[in-house]
Amino acid sequence: MTAWTAVRALFRAMPLRVLLNGLSVIGRGYLVPLLPGLALKPFFDALSGHAPAGSSPWTWLALYASLGAVFLTGQLAVGYLEPSVILEGATLLRTNLLSAILRRPGARAVPESPGEAVGRLRDDAAEIGILLAFLADPLGQALSIGIALAVLARVSPLVTLAVVVPMLLGLAVVNAASHRIATYRMAAQRANGAVTGFVAEAFGAVTAVKGAGAEERLAGRFRRLNEARRDASIRDALLARTLSSLSANASLLATGCLLLMVGTSMRTGRFTVGDLALFVSYLQALGVTGTYFGSVVLVVRRARVSLLRLLELLQGEPPAILVRPAPLFLRGDRQEAAPAARQPEDRLESLRVTGLTFRHPESGRGIDGASFELRRGRLTVVTGRVGSGKTTLLRTLLGLLPRQAGRVEWNGHEIRDLAAFMVPPRCGHVPQVPRLVSETLRENVLMGVPPDPAHLAAALRAAALTEDLAALDRGLDTPVGPRGVRLSGGQVQRAAIARMLVRDPEVLVVDDASSALDVETEAHVWERLLEGPDRTCLAVSHRRATLRRADEVLVLAEGRVVACGALDELLRTCAELRAIWREAR
Amino acid sequence: MASHVTPSFVRPLLRAYVLPHAGWLALLGVFLAGTTALQLSGPLLTRRFIDLARGGAGAGDLAWTAGAYVASAVAVQVISVADSYVAGGVAWRATNRLRDDLFLHCMRLDLPFHHEHTPGALIERIDGDVTTLQNLFSSFLVNLAGNILLLICVLAILFAVDWRIGLYMTLFAALVLTVLHRLRRRAVGAWRVERQVSAELFGYLEEVLGATEDIRSSGATPYATRAFQRRSRALRRARLRAFVVVAVVVGMTLAMLEPGVAGALWLAGLLLERHGVSLGTVYLVFNYAVLLTGPLEHIGHEVRDLQSAGAGAARIAELLARQPVLDEPALPAASLPDHALPVAFERVWFAYGDGEPVLRDVRFELPAGEVLGVLGPTGSGKTTLARLLVRFYDPGRGAVRIGGRDLREVRRESLRAHVALVPQEVQLMNATVRDNLALFDASVPDARILQAVEDLGLASLMARLPGGLDTVLAPGGADLSAGEAQLLALARALLLDPGLVVLDEASSRIDPATERMLDAAMDRLLRGRTAVVIAHRLSTIERADRILVLEHGRVREEGPRAALLADGSSRLSELLRAGLEETLA
Repeated sequence: MTAWTAVRALFRAMPLRVLLNGLSVIGRGYLVPLLPGLALKPFFDALSGHAPAGSSPWTWLALYASLGAVFLTGQLAVGYLEPSVILEGATLLRTNLLSAILRRPGARAVPESPGEAVGRLRDDAAEIGILLAFLADPLGQALSIGIALAVLARVSPLVTLAVVVPMLLGLAVVNAASHRIATYRMAAQRANGAVTGFVAEAFGAVTAVKGAGAEERLAGRFRRLNEARRDASIRDALLARTLSSLSANASLLATGCLLLMVGTSMRTGRFTVGDLALFVSYLQALGVTGTYFGSVVLVVRRARVSLLRLLELLQGEPPAILVRPAPLFLRGDRQEAAPAARQPEDRLESLRVTGLTFRHPESGRGIDGASFELRRGRLTVVTGRVGSGKTTLLRTLLGLLPRQAGRVEWNGHEIRDLAAFMVPPRCGHVPQVPRLVSETLRENVLMGVPPDPAHLAAALRAAALTEDLAALDRGLDTPVGPRGVRLSGGQVQRAAIARMLVRDPEVLVVDDASSALDVETEAHVWERLLEGPDRTCLAVSHRRATLRRADEVLVLAEGRVVACGALDELLRTCAELRAIWREAR
Repeated sequence: MASHVTPSFVRPLLRAYVLPHAGWLALLGVFLAGTTALQLSGPLLTRRFIDLARGGAGAGDLAWTAGAYVASAVAVQVISVADSYVAGGVAWRATNRLRDDLFLHCMRLDLPFHHEHTPGALIERIDGDVTTLQNLFSSFLVNLAGNILLLICVLAILFAVDWRIGLYMTLFAALVLTVLHRLRRRAVGAWRVERQVSAELFGYLEEVLGATEDIRSSGATPYATRAFQRRSRALRRARLRAFVVVAVVVGMTLAMLEPGVAGALWLAGLLLERHGVSLGTVYLVFNYAVLLTGPLEHIGHEVRDLQSAGAGAARIAELLARQPVLDEPALPAASLPDHALPVAFERVWFAYGDGEPVLRDVRFELPAGEVLGVLGPTGSGKTTLARLLVRFYDPGRGAVRIGGRDLREVRRESLRAHVALVPQEVQLMNATVRDNLALFDASVPDARILQAVEDLGLASLMARLPGGLDTVLAPGGADLSAGEAQLLALARALLLDPGLVVLDEASSRIDPATERMLDAAMDRLLRGRTAVVIAHRLSTIERADRILVLEHGRVREEGPRAALLADGSSRLSELLRAGLEETLA
């Protein structure tokens, strides 16, 4: 996808606004500046006696004065329309990227750190929006140049030709040099991403940093990253500035050439002071046009670089997704969409997994050919040593990691898109390290599920959160802070369990719920989780109590299922499980 | 004048960060004087040219005048590029120092601050707000000085031409500047809101991108999208408001300029008709009136930069004014000795903010070199107790003593050097293994790091990493299993060689096989050290000499482990029976 196809698609998404902005830019930016010269020429001619009889200089002066109101009107139109086009364009890109990222396998949604990706969503999306707002500029420039040339040629074709040459030269230089800008720009943006990414990570790890007294050392690394960005940005800006000032100063040079040319004809009166005023005024207007011509080139170059960086966030999805029209709800909210209703075929009888494989490209570790079956009402517990692939198995099954091989069948029907299918009301999940966002506890648990008080209370009770609520200063409406830091590790874990239960899924997938829970709380939670005969559950654990509850135990070693069956039997037959059991509590 | 333009927040920042670059600023001043002289010479040369031509002078004189005009145009170009290079350098150096200071300042602020601010919002406040100051720190100030200088020179020359014109233009300039000043004041507030709303949007995005696993598997994509839309909507409202305010300011400037120039021309025209002033002089008055619009208009154009910088500066000042809640100890502050340290809690009460007390009258003593195991259900205050031990918070009442010293009297560096915290959540960064372990302390020799790694049984993990200590970890340590990440966190603590280790559920996510590996190294880490080990599981405190059971923030029971075990009615025995029952079954 090129910057132009991207912008064309954005234009189709918001044509009226872009057109209005284009009109106001053409008017205010390019045509209105040609008006003062048209009043100045007759004024000076009348004053110096070169005007036709009956032309009073004062009439022309009054016209000149009235142009102020025209400028004001144009400025207000541009001041409203331009930022709104930039923002809407950028918001559409952000919306599409966010949906694409949220469609990705959840455990590897962005290529680098979230902070780095936010930098792209913020700045690179805005660059494309800026290009969208600049679309009409070339037309404005063509119009302005065409009209100016026609007006000036009627006064003096020869001078017009001689004056246009240096202007064109200046612009040609801009074009010739501009291909270098992309590389400098790219380097500057990379350095920028390194800075923002580091800030996010450093403050994400603030407890560890403070606990080790490493604040100064992190600041030292931040300083070095900042210096690298400074050097890259100065290189980028210097080139851009050289080019833009060349085109800006072209009008001064051209005025000098004009003076060199017209000396003789001014002595004879063939070229009047009014003509001089007109030429100088238009040279200035065209010089400004030239500056913006330079900026259009720069804006296009920057947009190209930014587009590449945005497409990287798509990670292989079709580029067209980036600019697909989508409702933005910038002027009003929408109705909350009803969550997907439970269909009869959603009822789980069996979930059969065959040959499921995912290996992390970086480390080569993962799971290899995992096969097993979950059946309604049964608890299957996955156990194994650290690094044996337990979490990877759960994530791959849920589509949070892209499987490289294997087949998953729900009641005998093959599921192709695991990520889209293995969600509520079919699957619920508690990740190993749950993440909350800075909203209230209620929002974090519900996350869009319609707030049915009885249902919510039941989920909170089952997750053993009810007592904690009383201790929080505003109960369910307590803001949990960035990433949930105001809650304890156990509370975050149980909030995630409540978040799963309030969705009432057919299959519960729980990654090591014990990690932040004490024995009694965990026992309580398991009892509630498995209440009723129909709960189907897949859990990672190495606690004896949990293993004993299991209807079936899966033993993982080095990414492979080495044993599978009832606990007692496996304790006799599987040495790996015996080793784990010996150490388990 | 300058005091009208620079809001009060900006001046201290200028003093601290720009003043050190006074030498470079002086060079910019020289450029400025040159540019001003060249700008003034243009109209003078044109007047001479017109009057010579109309007076029938020789071609040579005309050519020389025009040639001088061309030369000055070339000089303007050269100076403007040199100026942008120097100005860019000053701006980056000054703002980078401010960024460095802000980063360290925020790093040093206490946990309550970090609980309020997402890492994403901090990107905006440490980097984004400072970027708005970038222009202000270089080109803006010099340009402002240049515009004022130009304004004064033009008015002086106009007075020399004719006092009436000089007086008129002075009054006009004063009027324009007064009106602008009135309008401008409104805009600062609008920009401040815009920056705030923008920080909220991108802070939220950063959280969402860090929680993709949770959002995907909870089927909460529509919810997250809608929350993003809500924040985008707020940004649109705030930004349009800010831009429209600016458009009014700029538009009003333009609306006043054209009538103002027309007035000057009218005066000059009358002078020509009645007092025989030359046509060249009328053109000079026109040129200078137009030249004057430059400074007046530029001051208007740069209003936006200044306003957003003023808003940014206000937020920076607010951030810098925020002081750690914990006071630095009065001098002379105590240092902790280099050996195992005794610990004592003396009737400690603590609450977060105005909330319910989390710790109530907690007291215990732990002799040097002993290990205290802390037990209790989730939410009983165990994590808080750990935070008080490393002085992330001060007790509301009572005192925490380490090595006999009240923590409030101990130097921060000494505390960090002698007390190591292994937090609940492992926090790894997108940096090399070496930097993650030594937290960017380049003075730690590789041999020590490798030794620590080996002691903790991480040698096999290290062997798998392609670059050894130079291997760069994925953001958040995503390519490591939770158990491995925890082992790295323990290695971090080991490297600090502390006199007191505070382990907050350190082994909670490590499977039994790894835990066994760890035990030997843990024994080594704790040998000759005092330790407070906090865990929900009874087993992790088997090595404890003393036991403390917390319930609802109170000490339910505290004493030597052996004695509590011997007493069948102790809470510890009760808990162990629940636990042992599991183990025996």
